[in-house]
Amino acid sequence: MIDWLLAHIPPWLIILLVAHFAILGTVAYLILLERKVASWVQDRLGPNRVGLGFGIIPVLKDFHFWGFGQPLADGLKFILKEDYRPKNVDRVLFTLAPGFMILVIIISIAVLPWGGTMESSRTITIPTSTSDITVYAQQQLPYGSTLIGSPMLVDGTADQYTMTYRYVFQIATLNIGVLYILAVLSLSVYGVVIGGWASNNKYSFLGGLRATANMISYEIPLGLAVLCIVLMYGSLDLNTIVVRQCHNWGHFLPAWNVFCQPLAFVMFLVCIHAEANRAPFDMAEAEQELVGGYHTEYSAMRFALFFLAEYAGMITTSAVCVALFFGGWDLPGLRGPASNPGLSYSLILCIVRALVFFAKTIAIIFVFMWVRWSLPRFRFDQLMMLAWRALIPISLLLLAMTAVVVYVFHGESYDGLHGPMALTLFGANLAMTLLILVGSRFVPPAPATNRKLIVAGSRFRVTPLPAGLN
Amino acid sequence: MKDSDVIMLEEPKLSVPDQFYLPQVLIGLGTTMKHMFNVVVRGKDRVIQYPEEKREDLPVEKGGMTLQTYRGIHRLNKDEEGRVKCVACFMCSTACPAQCIHIEAAESPWQDREKYPAKFDIDELRCIYCGMCEEACPVDAIELTHYYDIVGLTRQEMIFDKAKLLRVFDETVKAEPM
Repeated sequence: MIDWLLAHIPPWLIILLVAHFAILGTVAYLILLERKVASWVQDRLGPNRVGLGFGIIPVLKDFHFWGFGQPLADGLKFILKEDYRPKNVDRVLFTLAPGFMILVIIISIAVLPWGGTMESSRTITIPTSTSDITVYAQQQLPYGSTLIGSPMLVDGTADQYTMTYRYVFQIATLNIGVLYILAVLSLSVYGVVIGGWASNNKYSFLGGLRATANMISYEIPLGLAVLCIVLMYGSLDLNTIVVRQCHNWGHFLPAWNVFCQPLAFVMFLVCIHAEANRAPFDMAEAEQELVGGYHTEYSAMRFALFFLAEYAGMITTSAVCVALFFGGWDLPGLRGPASNPGLSYSLILCIVRALVFFAKTIAIIFVFMWVRWSLPRFRFDQLMMLAWRALIPISLLLLAMTAVVVYVFHGESYDGLHGPMALTLFGANLAMTLLILVGSRFVPPAPATNRKLIVAGSRFRVTPLPAGLN
Repeated sequence: MKDSDVIMLEEPKLSVPDQFYLPQVLIGLGTTMKHMFNVVVRGKDRVIQYPEEKREDLPVEKGGMTLQTYRGIHRLNKDEEGRVKCVACFMCSTACPAQCIHIEAAESPWQDREKYPAKFDIDELRCIYCGMCEEACPVDAIELTHYYDIVGLTRQEMIFDKAKLLRVFDETVKAEPM
């Protein structure tokens, strides 16, 4: 059955369908997880009533299953609710914004490396009249796969050939995957801005504005942190980056970038929180200040799409984080031959790798939720200050430091980092941290603008400001 | 406002570790992780699973409550002969801050009093359960019972009329004598 499918359907199509529905299904359950985490932090249990029987199905209705039916019930509620559109909104943009947001997030999953490279072989019939059997064989292969060697004639037959081919176990094999993800994810802010603008509501509009400023500021350190990794491996392909992390340092420590570039990881983690519009950077939907932010005027399925997009965005950014810093699908034991650790001869191994990748992603998402329910939201000026006065200079320094290390160990990195270089990078990271801790004591303090609201100088009573405050 | 009334507050000075945020962030994350660990692993949540567990069944130190002091839905008391005790004096509806009691008085069919309520409606959705009606009543005819879990599918059925209030008395008199 699986052979028949693989023979007739291009593998990326199957991976696409599975990944698409897996991610959308996971999004629903992430919402449940979010509510559970929120409850646990607050000494509660969270939603635990709606089981999979929905109170109707005979046997199942007596079990609650820790609230596993809750996401389905929520989804049903969103579909059945009135899809209200206020007067005086921009009709086209108002409808377009949620769709645009979810579209952008979903196409960004295309380049996630799910399971390395799959090698397989197949016997086909090549007519004896064919002039170039290699070209003919290439046409018979699943789309996107490459022929390894040339087709071998099966003994005792005239036209039966065995051919070995490989395809990368991901949806799109793009050699600029990192760039693609960065480009597509920064488009997701358009959904927020368009939604905020089209709602014709001051709170929505402010939410959109804040999202823009947030995105512009945090794209820079995000890109710089990613550049550190790209520089080390000389590749923009996520799969290549993952494969080059598939070995051990000193026999036991996996060669994941988080161990040699911890500072870049912290930068990246902070920036993807901002990128995904999550607390403590959720200025765009600050409930206490902006009602609901950019989705104030949205209801029913349109709101649900914004909601889905937020969580799907978390999945994508966490997956990129896992691929860049936690070795993607890599676990000791799942690797292929030492010369090419990404290679796998069985489909099962690829699927197990995909599951490992997914589990790591969920772990990062748990960190997102953990942070959300621990830290208070930044004030807007603090948000900007953190980006422009801390993250951008630090990530620039980090990039320069990585460049120097890569130059010193030139050439060595392109087939995976080796012990000495990793150790140097780690030492350089520590030195950088010390430098920042000491150096930041000598940086002049930020201007006190926005810190104090002076009643005396306000529009209610125009008097000259006290000396020293201008 | 005078300028002299304006108090300028200085921000508290942050200590050196606090200025780098991260130590405090990690401490905060540690606190929430501790709570999560307590709930998930050690099962120390503060939840009362309501319909199965009720606060009146729990000891006070576990979040229980004394039902005797709880103010729930109303009842109209009957006297020894089974007649409604109310004399339609309108004290309760006057005292009611939510104005949820509507009484229509009529001449009493009995010799010992002049009036009695021909209609006596309480809108339990408007009621704020303050107990002022109980305090105001000169003949102890209206009382609040300890029943709090009343539900209805329409607003109309949450308006309790005289018959229903008397029925509440019949059902609760054993548990809560006058």
